[in-house]
Amino acid sequence: MHLRLVSGVVASILLSAGAPFVLGDGALRLWTEALLILTMAQMWNLLAGYAGLVSFGHQVFVAAGAYALFLAAEALNVSPYWVLPLAPLAAAFLAALVALPLFRLRDAYFSIGIWVFSEIVATLVTKSSLTGATAGLPLKTSSLMDLDWFEPTLFWIASVLALAATAGLLLLMRSEFGLGIMSVRDNDVAAMSVGVDVQRNRLIVFVISAAGCGAAGAVNFLSNLYLSPASAFDVSWVVNMMFIVVIGGIGTLEGPIIGTLLFFALREIVTGQLGLSGGWYLVALGSVAVGTMLWSPRGLWPALSARWGLRFMSVERKAPRLALQDKPNND
Amino acid sequence: MAWIETVVNGLLLGGLYGLIGIGLALVFGVMRVVDGAQGEFMVMAAFFAVIVLAAAPDLHPLIIFGLAILFSFCVGYVYQSWIVNRSMQSSDPLAPLLLTFGVSIILRSVMVEVFGADLRGLQLGSLSRASIAIFNINIGVMPLLTLATSIALFLLLQWMLKRTSFGRIIRATADRRDIVRLFGVKPDRVYACVMAMSVALSAIAGLFLAARASFTPFSGVERLLIAFEVVVLGGIGSFWGPLIGGLALGVTQLVGLKWDPNAGLLYCHLLFFIMILIRPSGLVASRS
Amino acid sequence: MTLLEVSGLNVFHGDLQAIFDLDLRVGEGEVVALVGANGAGKTTMMRALVGLIASKQGRIRFDGAEISAASAEDIARAGLCMVPEGRMLFDSLTVLENLMMGQVLRRRGYWTLERVFELFPILAERRSAMPRHLSGGQQQMVAIGRALICNPRLLLCDEISLGLAPLMVEQIYAAFAQIGKQGTALVLVEQDVKRASAAADRLYCLLKGRISLETAAGAVRVEDLTRAYFGA
Repeated sequence: MHLRLVSGVVASILLSAGAPFVLGDGALRLWTEALLILTMAQMWNLLAGYAGLVSFGHQVFVAAGAYALFLAAEALNVSPYWVLPLAPLAAAFLAALVALPLFRLRDAYFSIGIWVFSEIVATLVTKSSLTGATAGLPLKTSSLMDLDWFEPTLFWIASVLALAATAGLLLLMRSEFGLGIMSVRDNDVAAMSVGVDVQRNRLIVFVISAAGCGAAGAVNFLSNLYLSPASAFDVSWVVNMMFIVVIGGIGTLEGPIIGTLLFFALREIVTGQLGLSGGWYLVALGSVAVGTMLWSPRGLWPALSARWGLRFMSVERKAPRLALQDKPNND
Repeated sequence: MAWIETVVNGLLLGGLYGLIGIGLALVFGVMRVVDGAQGEFMVMAAFFAVIVLAAAPDLHPLIIFGLAILFSFCVGYVYQSWIVNRSMQSSDPLAPLLLTFGVSIILRSVMVEVFGADLRGLQLGSLSRASIAIFNINIGVMPLLTLATSIALFLLLQWMLKRTSFGRIIRATADRRDIVRLFGVKPDRVYACVMAMSVALSAIAGLFLAARASFTPFSGVERLLIAFEVVVLGGIGSFWGPLIGGLALGVTQLVGLKWDPNAGLLYCHLLFFIMILIRPSGLVASRS
Repeated sequence: MTLLEVSGLNVFHGDLQAIFDLDLRVGEGEVVALVGANGAGKTTMMRALVGLIASKQGRIRFDGAEISAASAEDIARAGLCMVPEGRMLFDSLTVLENLMMGQVLRRRGYWTLERVFELFPILAERRSAMPRHLSGGQQQMVAIGRALICNPRLLLCDEISLGLAPLMVEQIYAAFAQIGKQGTALVLVEQDVKRASAAADRLYCLLKGRISLETAAGAVRVEDLTRAYFGA
């Protein structure tokens, strides 16, 4: 198993190292975007699929990472690459801070609570002149970067993030800690009774998930060289994460990869090949979501792997229990 | 005096919020499904009314409203029995959630493509702009009608659920969806009726919104979060809560805006966040 | 006259089989006890009979009609009703409202609200109470009354005495005598063999999903029953 994992990682590294020399500018930008979305989707998957916490507010961590990068680069007057590590730290810090109140909420309350938190932060950022208010922030120190290598560098960073997210998730879920996490998701009372520290485990997963989104968000806005609160706190971030994860197969590592490929293939086909407007792309995306939920509610990957007997990075998931769900029947 | 006027207008706005929340609360209370498409159904009813009004300008507004509500009722019934019921068989609560969000994106994008994203209104002649003065406070007739309708519908729904045999069946199905089958009740059909009522209630909210102000295909999704807040503040599964939640949010929004003009919904969100932390199960204790 | 005839019934729980090739018969107006240890498949069997479990094979004839593929709603409408294990009352309905759910089927007959209140006078007194404020025995009375108002031809009672005080069990079993008088056939599912066989005409014992003993209730031999109950 470790051999397969290591060879998979090495192959991915070689592929992404060479890709910028083969791909054109447009394709490279598209792949960068896809890898960043994949990173975010895996982070959302970690939280929802493995820890059972469905977040509607992960855009706040995307924004936190991006603002940390832009503000720090300007304040320290250094190349944005140097302050990139601050992005996941800022998102993690914000997550740790808000976890305390949010973790008192269960199920749908948590989902809506974190969305409201994100909206509060968004409004405060939009009102504050420190963060550029509604106008947003330009990347003041962009001249310190080597612009010839700008696109390839971003692609490489995005590759590292996506690879780290996926491989890290695999290792994490195979570890004892991961088993603890999944036991909490499947039955928190039972997990607690065998000594799993539920709140601590949830907190760790939540913070990791936020940090990953912060890093990916920072790179995304770094490539734009400009940051506006409307796009940073856009609820589409979390909607896309959710669509990709649930369509692909929540609680699997392969699912979000399938979901991301489908997501971008659909967009390129509808808006590129067919030349239709973005609205029709959304119609197509919605239809895929509805169709998948009707014919394979657990997502595409579990259906496909069951049919063809495929297993690459199997880490299973059961549906989270809703506290409000029907009581189980006896016998 | 100006502050009293603000509070009164806040209450009137809260009537609209309550209307938006009530359908969502009904669906969540009975079938534990968070319906992400509720906002789009609201807008759909408004577009329906605009089309009918354009086709037959002489029709009385009440007839147009009636047609739009009937249309929405049927849409809700079909939506539940063809789509949502099927995904509720999955044990994973994320399946119906994503499904309804998918439906919401489809409906919204189709409406943008077909009708465009421009601001529209439902012109009901002088009624849309009319206002009356009570104790020197100017009150719009449409907002007042919204609040009155909202309260009336809450009472009607409450009466239906508590006093009629159909209401009893709905509550029993919410409690135990398999056991009611032993008494000849088909849960899927109960759910379809509940969804039909819920979409019809959203339609009423949409019609009032269109008649008192203006709307775009995005008017629904823009109010989705506030609708969730209304439901959660009111206590999930409680049927009176959404009205109280809606009124509280309406007053908070307008008072907040008067005090801090570019705050948007900040104070609503803050109120919600603080309330939910003090009382994680909502303002009104949950029924179950 | 045979009211219920089950032949070759297999019931499945996902990939697991819970009931194997089971034959069972209940006559018109007959009282049959179905005993068995915890996990023998009694409740699964009952839920399959009333249509709450759909994954099953075999024939189930009720009142002359084949019902093995019928929905739970239609089976109830035909007059095969159940008092489910664990009582399963509707928690947000009052006692009276719970009983009124039995009227939804519109099967008219001897049992009405008034007659149920005569049978269990305490329920009349507590008609507007919520189920969670009742004692276990009172809850059980509501569950039985709710099913009676459906005026069943055959009533399946699943683990009626489970978790109740002996005196309460006495009272409820006394009611069964009265219920039987109206011509209602009964299947009493119990872990308590003595209690069930005293009330029944015939007795089946279930062991690991199979019938291990069928006998007249008066003629049960202890050693046979012990073997049938626990397995040899």
